[in-house]
Amino acid sequence: MALPPRRLQWLAQAVLTAACLGLDPGWLLGAFSLALVGMAALKLLEARDRAGRRLVALLQLVGCGLIAAQQPELLPSVLQLLAAVLALAGLLQLESGQGLAWRVLVRRSVQVLAAALPMALVLFLLVPRLGPFGTGLGGPGARASTGLSDSLEPGSIATLVGDQAPAARVAFSTNTPPPPAERYWRVLVHPLFNGRGWERDPQAESRRPLPAAGTPEEGQGAHQLWLVEPSRFTAVPWDGRSLPLDPSLRPQPNGELRLLRPALERRSYRLLEQGNPLAWQRQRPTWDDLMLPLDQNPRLLALGRSWTALPTLSARVEAARAWFQSQNFRYTTTPGALPARDGLDVFLFERGEGFCGHYASAFSALMRAAGVPSRVVSGYLGGTWVEPMGGASFLELRQSNAHAWSEVWLPGVGWQRLDPTTWVEGGNAANQRMNGDRATATGPLARQWLWLQRQWWGLDMAWSRWWLGFDRSSQEALLNRLLGTNRWALGWLVLLGLGVGLAGALPLLRRQQRLGQDRLSRELAALLRALERLRIVPAAGDTLETLSGRAAEAHPALASALAELTAIHAERRYGPTGRAGGQGAAEQRWRVALRQVQRYRIDAISR
Amino acid sequence: MRSVDVTRLGPPHGGATLRLGLRNLYILPTRFGLLWLAGAALLQVVGIQTQRNGPLLLSFVMLALMVLALHLTHFNLQGLELRGGQPRPGFADGPLRYPVHLQSLCRREAVGLQLAGGEPLPPQRLDAGSTTLGLPWQCGRRGLQRPGTVLIRSSAPLGLFVCWSRWQPPQPQAVIPARRPGPVGSGGSDPEQPPALESVLGSREGSEHWQDLRPHRPEDSQVRLAWKVLARGRGRLSKVFRDAEGVPPVLMPAPGVPHEQALEHLSAAVWQLSERGESFGLQLADGAIPPGQGREHRDRCLLALALCR
Repeated sequence: MALPPRRLQWLAQAVLTAACLGLDPGWLLGAFSLALVGMAALKLLEARDRAGRRLVALLQLVGCGLIAAQQPELLPSVLQLLAAVLALAGLLQLESGQGLAWRVLVRRSVQVLAAALPMALVLFLLVPRLGPFGTGLGGPGARASTGLSDSLEPGSIATLVGDQAPAARVAFSTNTPPPPAERYWRVLVHPLFNGRGWERDPQAESRRPLPAAGTPEEGQGAHQLWLVEPSRFTAVPWDGRSLPLDPSLRPQPNGELRLLRPALERRSYRLLEQGNPLAWQRQRPTWDDLMLPLDQNPRLLALGRSWTALPTLSARVEAARAWFQSQNFRYTTTPGALPARDGLDVFLFERGEGFCGHYASAFSALMRAAGVPSRVVSGYLGGTWVEPMGGASFLELRQSNAHAWSEVWLPGVGWQRLDPTTWVEGGNAANQRMNGDRATATGPLARQWLWLQRQWWGLDMAWSRWWLGFDRSSQEALLNRLLGTNRWALGWLVLLGLGVGLAGALPLLRRQQRLGQDRLSRELAALLRALERLRIVPAAGDTLETLSGRAAEAHPALASALAELTAIHAERRYGPTGRAGGQGAAEQRWRVALRQVQRYRIDAISR
Repeated sequence: MRSVDVTRLGPPHGGATLRLGLRNLYILPTRFGLLWLAGAALLQVVGIQTQRNGPLLLSFVMLALMVLALHLTHFNLQGLELRGGQPRPGFADGPLRYPVHLQSLCRREAVGLQLAGGEPLPPQRLDAGSTTLGLPWQCGRRGLQRPGTVLIRSSAPLGLFVCWSRWQPPQPQAVIPARRPGPVGSGGSDPEQPPALESVLGSREGSEHWQDLRPHRPEDSQVRLAWKVLARGRGRLSKVFRDAEGVPPVLMPAPGVPHEQALEHLSAAVWQLSERGESFGLQLADGAIPPGQGREHRDRCLLALALCR
């Protein structure tokens, strides 16, 4: 028996292969997905019987699901949906046992999917979700594309300045961004100073994160939804104050926020805004936070030590601030290279110009010299508030928003952010530029591209908010709203939802089955229904002519209309085809005559 | 390892007609359906492990499709009415076709039918109305034979479930003895000395030995058409042969040959003579058919061979 053409399954395979682009083969799940899609292609090449081709359709569907687990963004999701519809269409074509038109097949697939969707949504929304069983699917990968650097030497971030590549987007449930002075988004913490630059703790990526301290309740406050582009680190941007709503998010003792997902994929997570200081801010400093090479930058050491006479750490910080503001420092993005030895001395006491990296680095070193625990933090500052035509408004962060600042530890306060760049001439202006639209496009084409990009990102943000943002906590909030304390009713609610979904879907599909006939058959069925209402039903051996004859005898007023309908049906069913215009006229005459029969019933009843 | 054919399960239902419904339809998941469930379970695990909505929703869609398919596959057969047709006689050495009328009020997708021991018909779409299908089967014994159980099955639309019913059609089909050439007895001008069939047939060898021509009638065999005359443009004429002895032979079982084998020889002889358009009669133990010719006469003789004791 010849099987239907396999072109549809090949098309599904092609879309599925395209959806595989961007998978991380270093992740166990990524490798498994790629292997599965490859197996589906090989099976499709080899399959000669129905069972083999069925298996291909199943592999393709499962492949879609596996890819969806790794690439949940809007565009990949569109590809995954297309591949799933085509795989289902291939299966329907296979089971129908005949070559149906593509349009019919795709329509039927969409109908079947749409019929299944209500039940699936009931299960998706209401069946309580389980937490991960462990880390069985492999840990996050360590591969990288773009992002900040482990090592912060003055000038190292200069490579990021002017880089308009997207870094992250954040949407606020209040639809209002924080004030510009509060738009510090911390990512990496650099506590190790070697006299020239600041290093991140080399164990930071591999160190076991703190256990989650419980997921806060949904709906307690304003949310932030973050979408972060792939980077080298599992540390993701955050404001340092909000509570993570995702169990995969783990705040570190140093104030970094790690997301336990592969860093190579685009990640999304939600935070709950709140005002209380978090545990990391109260974390006591270690000796590392005071370490300073004593054989470098002698003038810096001397200046810092001169403030140790001040009684409190706060006074030492204020003295440093005053000193910075009294000097003639100037902000520039082209400070030139500093010497390898005593570079900070040259910067502080000779050149006096630099950018955020220079100031954060020098200030933190001065604080350590003054006996104040300090460190450098790198992340993003500012961002552009974008309100697209469709989708959600969001704050756009690009790599050009990269920034570095200092943190000092003060008794009773904990770790405190200080941005020495704002104390120098031009520093505030530079920061304000960061708060403004850094992604300025020059040509009209570039502007249009930027506009289009932002519209798409708006849709993407809305997708992330409503689709990716629906997690266990969102489900818990939904169930609380629906059931309150009556959780015992959840099972009944699920069953009721499934029953309603099934009761709605089956008649729809059976109706489509009846409508699947050709147009003439449908028209004939309409006439038979109209006659049935007049209690004229076909008997065995009846033709349309004899049936119409009986109907005309019972209802003489319809005789001419029925004769017309019989003649038109015979003409259209058995007559020669291809007469231009004749077909349309016949259809019109049919409609008029049929309406007469249908209305006759109404008149008869009303009489 | 061969998989178990679940469609063998369930008792066959009798009756002249069988309307498929809840009482006589059976449904079970196919092996593909079980794999489908395994795929949905895998996606559930992946969705739980990665806490991603995509695989979770897709697994729920697959489960919902399974629930839908359970009903749709059942609906695909529910309400269908099977009725046995009047089976035409067939030969024991050839394929038999057993007619089954299917009456449906709506379209049915990919319905497969099979007679036990026969080749399955490929799944086909049944449009609303009446459809007649000839189910192939084979039978080695002559006589009125009942075909095996009719299996009607469908796994449309997704192949996740197989729904089936089994029906024992009541009408038997006449099976004519296999056509095996061999000696037959023949009565003609001298019933005491029945000539062998070879001699009867031999006298008809060659189409040139006709005695007369008459206008060709539609019911006449093409074998008797005078092709050369037709080629000369003298119209369609049938050859008229004159029997050697002047009377058509009456075929009868050859003496000394086992009964069933003799019937098979007779079956071949009847077929051969009829193909030649010649007259013949048939003498059997439980009756005789006077000489005649034509398709109806042939069928009467063959049926007599099928049913004789």
